[in-house]
Formats: sequence, structure tokens, C-alpha cells
Amino acid sequence: MLPMRPELLKGHLDTLLLAVLEDGPQHGYAVIETLRAGSSGALDLPTGTVYPALHRLERAGLIASDWETVGGRRRRAYRLTTSGQAALDDQRAVWEQFSAAVTAILGRRAWPATT
Amino acid sequence: MARHHLSAQPDQAQVDAYLSALAGWLHGPRRRRARILAELKDGLTHAIDGHVSHGRSQPEATSAAIAEFGAPQVVAQAFAGELTAAHARKTIAAYVATGPLVGIWWLLLLRPYPWHGGLIALLAAIPVIPMIAIIMAMAVGTLATTGSLMRWLPETHPRRALTLTMTIAALALAADVTVVALYIRSDIPMQTLAAVACTASLIRIVGGALTLRRTTTMRRWLDQTTSSSPREDRDARR
Repeated sequence: MLPMRPELLKGHLDTLLLAVLEDGPQHGYAVIETLRAGSSGALDLPTGTVYPALHRLERAGLIASDWETVGGRRRRAYRLTTSGQAALDDQRAVWEQFSAAVTAILGRRAWPATT
Repeated sequence: MARHHLSAQPDQAQVDAYLSALAGWLHGPRRRRARILAELKDGLTHAIDGHVSHGRSQPEATSAAIAEFGAPQVVAQAFAGELTAAHARKTIAAYVATGPLVGIWWLLLLRPYPWHGGLIALLAAIPVIPMIAIIMAMAVGTLATTGSLMRWLPETHPRRALTLTMTIAALALAADVTVVALYIRSDIPMQTLAAVACTASLIRIVGGALTLRRTTTMRRWLDQTTSSSPREDRDARR
């Protein structure tokens, strides 16, 4: 699968990062790996995109972070806050509506999509 | 064991050289820069481990991980927005915290006597009060729209946050100079209260000048990063 350019994800990156952290705390590079593995390589985002976005989400109070020591190695783990979970739920609903509408146009299917 | 140690040394040196180069490109609050470097160091180590587990040698894994992370300048530029926002928030928070500590002495020193003169008399005695109100409104607004309230309010872009920081610093500097000038022109004797008020303002005048200089440097750095396209980040990894 072809990797997507970061600019294509504009507007969706925050939601993707929140979704990755929904299953539990992760450090920055693990977030990059999860996005890559979860999308079969399509979301192979650079360090310069993911780390600053995590910092911005933390500034917005949607995620929080703490230093932890794992195997003698110090790392910063990010976790979803209550506000982050609420924002993710909202964005998920928006995305489902948006993707159904776009798919209806691109795929020429009826909208709203029925499953 | 000794062989492993010898082979690992150049790799660590390569990581350290990368992080050192990156540190040279970063601007902004020291603690925030240290956090970024520590996070990226951990991420690099994780990436190297991943490449080694896929059968690459330590030097190959290190080179691959560094290439994956991107050129130091490009990575530093990616953090420009966050470091700028951190600088603006830290500076403005300092003004919010120190404002009452400086202002209380001037209020006690310059307040009209008798105290029941009302707001007009207070404004006549301390004409910088409206300026201070504007500073506080700008400071609170900027902190809110660059922090947790940006979920509900329009987010202030880092560039605008820097402009507001410079405006706040300049207004605070002007307010401090004005009250010191007012005191010098008055016939109030130099007592403990006046000495404390003047010292507090002089400290903040020096701090304000340094803030303006630092903020100008941040602004210049941020302007430089806008000339780079997002594609450079991807290209730098190849």
C-alpha cells in the first residue's frame, strides 16, 4: 500500500492519535508504529508530524503524559484524558458521517449509507 | 562482550551527534527542549531496537533509524510551532504572576489620598491602570486560546501568540517606565515602599527587554520554518 502524505491527513491527525491512545498509554514512537501497523503501512507518518501533534494535543488537554521507566529506559507515555475520550467520540461520529458522504460521491452510492 | 561494547560505541556516538545537531536547531524554553530531546532519544533507541530485531547490524540499524527520523533541521522546524507556543505561554504566565506583585506596591504608593476619591481620582493618580487592564485581558485571552480552552475557543496560532507576547511585554515595559517616571516627578519621599516599587519595576523593565529580545529570536526562527514545505520532512527521511 502506498504511504499517504502527511498533508492529506490534515484535520484528521488529531483524531487518529486519540484513537491510537484509546487502548492504553503509549510512547511517541509506539504511536508511530501503531499507526503504521494498523494501516498496513499507509499511515507511515514522520517523527516531525507525530511528536509535535502529541505535544499540541497535550496542550489542549486532550491527552496527558508522564515519564515512566521501562527496562531501565526512561520514556514519556501519553494517555487519553476524559476530555480526549469525549473529543474522540465526537470526531468518530463526524468521521462516519463524512466518510459515508464522500464514499457516496466517489463510489456513486446512496447517501446516507445504509448497512 | 568487549567486541559488542566496541561496536556499540560508534552507534551511541552517532545518536549523540544527531541529538546534538538537533539541539543546536531548537529554540524556546530550556525544559521543553530537554523534553523533546529525551523523547526523541528514546524513540530513536526504540527504532534502532526494531531494526536490529529485523536482522540489521547495530551500525546499519542506527543509520536507518536516524534516516527514518529525518534531518535535524527539519525535525527542529516541525517543533517550531509547539516551542513557540510554549515560549509565549511561559512568558505570559510570568507576567500574569508578577503583575500583582509589582502593581500592589505602586497602588499603595501612588493611590490618591483620601482613598474615597473614586475611580476618576484613582485613574488620575495611576494613569497606567487602563493599560494594565488591557495587558491582563490579552494575557488571559492568549493563555486560554493556546491552552486547554482551545477545544472550545478558536485556537491562537503560535505566530499570533508571539505577536501578543511582544505586545504584552512592550505594554508592561511602558507601564513600568511610566510609573517610575511619575514617581520621579512627584514629591513622594524615597521610603521603603517607594524603593520596593521602583526596584520591582526596574527588575521587570530589564526582564521585559530580555523577553522582547528572546521573542524576536523566536519570531525569526518561526518565520524561517514557514519557507520549508511539509514534503521536506518526508524527503529528508529518504
